[in-house]
Amino acid sequence: MTAQERTVAVLGAGTMGSGIATVTVRAGHRTLIHDLDDERVARGVDTVRGFLAKSAKLGKLSEADAAAASERIEGTTDLKDLAGAGVVIEAIYEDMAAKRALFGELDGIVGEDTLFHTNTSTLSVTGIAAGSARPERVVGTHYCNPAPLMKLVEVADGRHTASWAHRATIEFLASVGKTTVVTKDRPGFIVNRFLIPWENSCIQALENGLGTKESIDTAVTGALGHPMGPFRLLDVVGLDIHQQVATRLYEQLRDPKFFPPPMVDRMVAAGDLGRKTGRGFYTYDDTRLFGS
Amino acid sequence: MSEINTVAVLGFGTMGAGIVQVVAASGRPVTVLESSRERADAGLAALTSFLDGGVRRGKLTEVERADLLSRVRPVTDVAELAGSDLVIEAVTERADVKSDLLARVAGVVAADAVIATNTSALSVTELAGSVTAPERFAGLHFFNPAPLMKVVEVVRALRTAPEVVDALVSFAGSLGKDPVVVKDRPGFLVNHLLIPYLNDVITEYDNELADAEDIDTALKLGLGYRLGPLELLDLIGLDVHEHAARSAYEATHDPRFAPPPLLSQMVAAGRLGTKNGQGLRTGKDQAQ
Repeated sequence: MTAQERTVAVLGAGTMGSGIATVTVRAGHRTLIHDLDDERVARGVDTVRGFLAKSAKLGKLSEADAAAASERIEGTTDLKDLAGAGVVIEAIYEDMAAKRALFGELDGIVGEDTLFHTNTSTLSVTGIAAGSARPERVVGTHYCNPAPLMKLVEVADGRHTASWAHRATIEFLASVGKTTVVTKDRPGFIVNRFLIPWENSCIQALENGLGTKESIDTAVTGALGHPMGPFRLLDVVGLDIHQQVATRLYEQLRDPKFFPPPMVDRMVAAGDLGRKTGRGFYTYDDTRLFGS
Repeated sequence: MSEINTVAVLGFGTMGAGIVQVVAASGRPVTVLESSRERADAGLAALTSFLDGGVRRGKLTEVERADLLSRVRPVTDVAELAGSDLVIEAVTERADVKSDLLARVAGVVAADAVIATNTSALSVTELAGSVTAPERFAGLHFFNPAPLMKVVEVVRALRTAPEVVDALVSFAGSLGKDPVVVKDRPGFLVNHLLIPYLNDVITEYDNELADAEDIDTALKLGLGYRLGPLELLDLIGLDVHEHAARSAYEATHDPRFAPPPLLSQMVAAGRLGTKNGQGLRTGKDQAQ
């Protein structure tokens, strides 16, 4: 089966799921997006088509290609519809039990050699794979947000991942235009493994009076060439998301550098979550634009 | 505090030459002190060849290059620094060498001349003890390569006068830099954040999280960094990073600063990064 013929199923029609589905339809794969109710599925399909339409408007994609890609997306709430999928990409909420149960259920629906990809960012690939009777076909494939724009996918095998599944995964990701890096099934993979302690240390520097948020952002962008200073980035990511990811990594690694500093808890408690609420480390006037 | 018009730079090595270029480009005359005529000539030759490269790439004109060089005066006698409004020390990172020289310079320049150190690893407050009137002493920390890096850390030592900090902030601004005022803590601000991060990457690389290229690729594509941490380490020089990490560790005993075993081994094995063609990314990839 060539990559182009392969039907892809994406589980979870949220931000990551619809972003990944956009990547696969754009690359020519017929893609089925699954979620628990019709409303979520419809919203996911709309997100995919909306992104493609916008790409055409911006000239990133021809009108014809955008229209063709839009036709490749289909939604469902019935897992049985996934029977013909060659690759299943799990992008539901970060809950080990839910992810395991889903892979277990899919075992009885899809073919024996269907690849199972999990887009988990903080959970163990091995742990999720244990939900399937065939853990050798499960591979961690961590996309970055927004998936249609970010080239990187971190690939992590679980303890029982077979080499055929690993190779097929690398080929599949290359066929959808992604750059892969191979890492281990360790909390945070590469990017979050280094980003979380980095952001925490910048927050601590701010708490300790080593600089102001402005001076630290200026120093980091000017001296290290980062595209955004740590506090601008935290506002984009969302303080609640940072708190969740940091806490999950800490729970697994028990190394205090992963634990969110007290300032994060206070900001989340105050509802200062970053750009999405109009206030984080900085204030923003343009929250009205969000969701409009 | 009078305006800063004439500047002296101590040391014509890599950092010294970069600082000289930046200051001369702002239109100010710069006197550069070196320990011997040979070293002064070598510094001037390096600066000239760097500027020649700029002319070839169209970054500056022949005339600008000639003007800039005409403002640079290499000297070997401390007495020649007498008229300087500001002295920027950029000699080797050894407290004894810096202290000796700073004491001699402080005896030559006017009592209200500002004296600054470009140290990255030593305590500015400790170095201030080697000059008379230490309230005129502060840190002025440029990043390598100085002509390209926008940020300059203005380090306020325990006794630095507020007007000296202000004068250095406006001086750095007049060079086209973004000044950031920081406390005199090991690593100041940038290295205080950077050293633990780079150590962490070295440790995880040694723990086989991923190969070196994939670690760099992940952080470049995932976070938009211009350089991956391992290629950055090769550029900085593994010996330079090891020295900075060890100094910060000795000053704090904070294990996050302690040089990881692989780093110390690379230095011991003479694998110093880009400068000698063998590092964490350099040399190895090609060999495989």
